[in-house]
This record gives sequence, structure tokens and C-alpha cells, in this order.
Amino acid sequence: MTIWHKLRPYGMVAPAIVIFTMFFLYPIFYMIYLSLFDWNFVSPTKTFVGLANFRDLLTDSDFMKVLSNTTMYTLLTVTLTTILALLLALWLNRKSLFHGFVQGAIFSPHIISLVSISLLWSWLMDPEYGLLNWIIGLFGFGPLQWLSHPGTSLVSLVIVAVWKGLGYNTLVFIAGLQSIPGDIYEAAALDESKPWTTFAKLTLPMLSPTIFFLVIINLIGSFQVFETIAIMTQGGPVNSTNTLVYYIYENGFRFFKIGYASAAGVILLVIVGALTIVYFRLLARRVHYR
Amino acid sequence: MKDGKEDCIAGACHRAGGRDGGMRLERKRRQRGRDGRSHVRHDCSGRIIGQKITIKYWYAFGDKIEEAKRHLVEQFNASQDRIEVVAEHQGNYDDLHAKVQAAFAAGNAPAVTDLEIASTGVFARSGMLQELTGFADRDKEKVKLDDFIPGLMGNAYVDGKLYGLPFMRSTPIMYKNATMLKEAGLDPEGPKTWDELEQYARVLKEHGKTAMTMPVDIWFYEALVAQSGGTVLSEDGKSAAFQSPEGVAPVEFWQRLAKEGLLKIPVGDEAGATADKDWANQLSAFKFGSTAGVSGSLEIAKGNGFELAASFMPANKSYGVPTGGCQLVMTSKLSDEEKEAAWEFIMFMTSTENTIYQHKHVGYLPTRLTAIESEELKTHFKEFPQYKVAVDQLEYARPRPMENAYPEVTKMMKEAIEKAILDPNANPQEIMNEAAEKANKLLAK
Repeated sequence: MTIWHKLRPYGMVAPAIVIFTMFFLYPIFYMIYLSLFDWNFVSPTKTFVGLANFRDLLTDSDFMKVLSNTTMYTLLTVTLTTILALLLALWLNRKSLFHGFVQGAIFSPHIISLVSISLLWSWLMDPEYGLLNWIIGLFGFGPLQWLSHPGTSLVSLVIVAVWKGLGYNTLVFIAGLQSIPGDIYEAAALDESKPWTTFAKLTLPMLSPTIFFLVIINLIGSFQVFETIAIMTQGGPVNSTNTLVYYIYENGFRFFKIGYASAAGVILLVIVGALTIVYFRLLARRVHYR
Repeated sequence: MKDGKEDCIAGACHRAGGRDGGMRLERKRRQRGRDGRSHVRHDCSGRIIGQKITIKYWYAFGDKIEEAKRHLVEQFNASQDRIEVVAEHQGNYDDLHAKVQAAFAAGNAPAVTDLEIASTGVFARSGMLQELTGFADRDKEKVKLDDFIPGLMGNAYVDGKLYGLPFMRSTPIMYKNATMLKEAGLDPEGPKTWDELEQYARVLKEHGKTAMTMPVDIWFYEALVAQSGGTVLSEDGKSAAFQSPEGVAPVEFWQRLAKEGLLKIPVGDEAGATADKDWANQLSAFKFGSTAGVSGSLEIAKGNGFELAASFMPANKSYGVPTGGCQLVMTSKLSDEEKEAAWEFIMFMTSTENTIYQHKHVGYLPTRLTAIESEELKTHFKEFPQYKVAVDQLEYARPRPMENAYPEVTKMMKEAIEKAILDPNANPQEIMNEAAEKANKLLAK
């Protein structure tokens, strides 16, 4: 065994470790470090303030609002996306030109840039001149304020997120459905299982790894929503759509409070980290792995 | 040509020929400067190389504003052959500020940038800006600081030091659809006061029109507070003053008129765009807007077949407006050559001739007294009096607050006012008190 043989594995993983350290570990530790300071990113002096940023955050009513907005947005988006995508996948899981077309159509938002989507929906949801109000007007419903009222703004953003994410989720579900072996269904048919029983006792458990995967990535993605908010609402009106990542951006780059923004970033890290662990633990027990 | 040949003979080509712009050339150029030799260098084929210094200039906004800025940069680049300015668009003021800050932290800031006037304080105090006092003293014959309209210099100084020169500066004015007013039997000269605005609004409502669609824009709010005889922050900037009667009066006024359907005040990100659209589509008679919109609004009025009049924003106790717009600033951390180049560029952009150009092209204020007194603008004002409104209104203008926390305080005020508009039964005084309490915590730091 030469030294080269001993060192070779380390040499092989070195590039990955270096990149991981530079672009992942270092920024995280730098953020944690910055969260203890009062600093504006450019001034030559940083003032050490200990945990004051965290204390200010946790006593700030705006930050509490931001947390509840983020949670609400995430719950709605993840639930709606997962349920709708599952229903669509069940319907689309067959081969015909029409079904193929529908599948392609609902997948197309996935490949469009979120910036374009945000601009498009801002226009659709315009209270005065928007297409959506015109359409619901045809059915006799009054004009909605969509993004321009605190009561509807968050839900409007959820609609955009669901529309954007639906195609990808459906595609993954269809892949999941198609990987369920056909002989199980044959056996179920021989036992004269009712469609609902087949779905609940067979399809759903067999699909649970897929559901688990989608819930986790949707959850983490939704918690970090930024682009639609930056373009469509800027957190308004009256903070009704201000979410964690936008709040961090706003404090860091609009108000130049990097320490405070870093503290909020640390909280985001803790929440997303904790959610991931909890969900892995909880869901892992119920997930049926083959 | 001769210089170029000499360079070749001296062997310069072997060292630097063909490699443009790099550090080596930069260093060589400096040495050459010290030797007292020509700054103009050529490569072996006689093409001029390397003598140019390139600096970046970042600016905000598109459309006519961008056209004017790009045109001026082209003029500057064509006017001399030592400095090449590369102009880059960076979105609106907020986007621009965020990008300049990030670029500065990364050591990649532009040499010159637009800076919205209320942000001068935080940028200067963070050490991001080069103080210009020394340059202005040295070149006082050329820059003529006292030729700038004094009312525009309030935001150019931070703690007594000069940091920027007025570039595309503005005040908000009131745009009016004179045709609509005449049809409703109203005098297009008015309304001159808040009460008259309310009367006009009632008449217009009878004719099925909205008097004005207006976003909750803190720049306009600052104006209405000034008209009521107050300020949004205390004299020393250490506490909020918008909870005073003068600060609450505009909120009460807006809330009451919005409740009665006399004013339409949409909230949210599209509110400003909605206000402009309503006015352009002749759904509303008035809009508040920066004087930067004069050229564009004249085109809209002409295209849609109505007559545009412009006037001061209506008075409450008196007239009053904040100034606005941007000045040109130089970032710190530049080499001496870059500083000189940036300074020359800033002087060029703010000259009398060029302030006249940008004023006529866009509508921003002419920033210099010699510009206002020029024959060119006198004739221009006679033909298009709408351009002159903001100039005359400067008599009632004041600077904007420049406290470090002001961007965040702005957001608090905006949220508070939007709350009052969305809930017509809310008590404006209570809402403003609540916001003031929050703002005081930030301002006291």
C-alpha cells in the first residue's frame, strides 16, 4: 500500500469538499457570525451586539406576521399542489394523444422563468384591466382585488405557485404510478376489489415514496418563495405577502441591515432544517418502501 | 501617428501592443504620465490603444429617462478620447441601490451612479461615496456650484460635505385633463387648494368621473404634510413627526375622500401603474406625478385627444413639495485616474447645456440658474408652460429626509396609510401613532 493509494480517495473527493465548503459551509458560518453584529455590509466598522438581533426579531410584530404568512403560504401551496397533481396524474395515467397533450400543457409552466410568470399573472390579476376579473364577471361574480388587497393577496400568490408547480408534480406522480407493477392490480382485480379500495389500499401505499418526496421538496421550496413576491407584491399590501426570504432580502438590501437579515436567515435555516428532520422521522415510518 | 511609430521603435509593442485595457496597460499609462510624455498611444499599425480609461456608470429607469441618459453618455464619449463611459441599466431606484451596495461589498462598484436623493445619507455615512468637496473647490470655475438652484443642493451635502451634483431632479406636480374639466364646467386653472380639490371631485363624480386615482406614495405624502405645515420627521431626524396633526391631516383627507368615492386609492404593487392608466384612459381627471413625466404625458394627451394642463399640487395651509429624483455620485475606492475620469463625467452630465437637454427630453427640472435664464428655455416655457410648473414650484420645495433608517420608516408610513385607506372606519391618528412608535425605535439608534 503506497501513500498514493491511501491519499487517492481524499484527492478524489477534494473538489467536491472544496466546493461544498466554499459555497455552503462558509456562507452558513459567515451568516451565523454576521447575525451577531450590527452592520450594513459596506461600512468599515461592525458593532458586536450579541444576540440583540434575535431578540429584536422575536419581539417584532412584523416578523411574526412574516412567519405566519410563510407558514400559511407553504401549507396551502403544498397541500393544493400535491392533491391536485395526484388527481391529475390518476386521470392522465393512460396513453392517448389527448392525455399527452394535456400533460404537456400543464407541464409547460414549469419551464417558463418565474419572472415571466409573475409578470403574466400580475397582468391577469389586475383588478381593473385583468383577464381574471373579466372571466369571473361573466359568471356573475364581483371583481376581486387579487394582489391589491390584504385579504386575497396571499391566496393569489398560492394560485400562481400551484399553477407553476402542478405540471412537474403531476409528471413525477405519473412516473410513480407507472412504476407500480401491473400484477398487483391483476391480483386486486381477481379479488374483485372496488376501485376506491384499490386506490386507498394499493395505489396510495405504493405511491407513498413519491408523495413523501414531493411533499418534502415542495415544502422546502415554498418556504423559500421569493421571486413572485419580489415582482408581484413586494411584500404588500400592508405586509400581507411578506415572507421569510423576501423579509431577509428587504432588510439586507433595502434597509441595509445585514446583521438583522442574517439573524432572520439563521432562523430560516433552523426552521427548514427542523422541518426536514421532523418530516423524515415522521413520514419515514409510514412510507412504504419496496 | 508619429507617437505611435515612436512607441513601436521603442519596443512598446512587444510589451503591450494589442492587449487592451488590462492592468499592464494601466500601469504603463501611469508611468508614461509621470514621464511627461504623450498620453496617446498607438499600436504598431497606428491604431490608438490603451490610452483610454474605462469607467462604469449605473443608472435607473427606462423609456425617455434612459434615452436621455444614454444620449448624454454617447455625447460624452464622443466629446473626448481619454475616457470611455459604459452605461448600464439597473432597474428602478431600489434595485439600483441594492445592486450598488452589493457590488461595492464585492469590490466591483461602478465609478459613477445615479442615487435617489433621500439615500444620499446612508450611502455617504457608510463610506461608499467619494467626497466631492475637493474636486468642486479645485474646479470651481468650471463646475460653478452656486449656479445650481439652491433648493436642489439640500440633498447634495451630508454633514457639511459635498457628495453629489443634481442631475435628474424633480418635484411632484399635478397633471390635469383640461378637456375633461371644461366639459364638467370646471375652471382648468384650479383646483388650487384641498377644499377646491374636494369641490372639483364632487362635480366630477356627478359626471361619472373620478377626480384622481392615486397610489399611496410617500413622496406625495411628504408633499401633503408640507402643505399642512409639518414635516414627517423631527428637526434633528431622531424621531417621527408624522403623528402630528400636520402628518395626520393628509391621511384623514385621503381616507375621507376615498370613502366617499371621490378619490380612488388602490394599494399594492400595481397602484402607481393603475393611477397612470386611469388618467391616460380619461377615467380620472388628475394625477400626481413627477415632473419627469411631462414629455410622456404630453404625448399621451396628444394621442388620446385631450388637453394637458399642469399645476402645483394643491395647497392646504400653503403650497409645499419635496424635491426628488437623483444626483450623480462617485463611489469611493477608485484609483486617482478613475476619480478624475468620474469627476469629468459628472461635470459634463450636469452642465448647463446638458441639463437643458435632459429637461426638454424628459421633463426633469433644469438644475442650473443659467439654464432657466437661457433664451432656449424661455422660448420653450412659452410654448409648453407645463414644463415650467415644477421650476416655479421650487419656491415651495424642501429636501427629503436623509436618515439611515428612512427607507424603512418610509415602509412603515406607507403601511400605516394603506391600513387607513383599506379600513375606512379606522382612526388615522391611532394608526399613525402606532407607526410612529415603531419608527422612533429605529430613528433613535
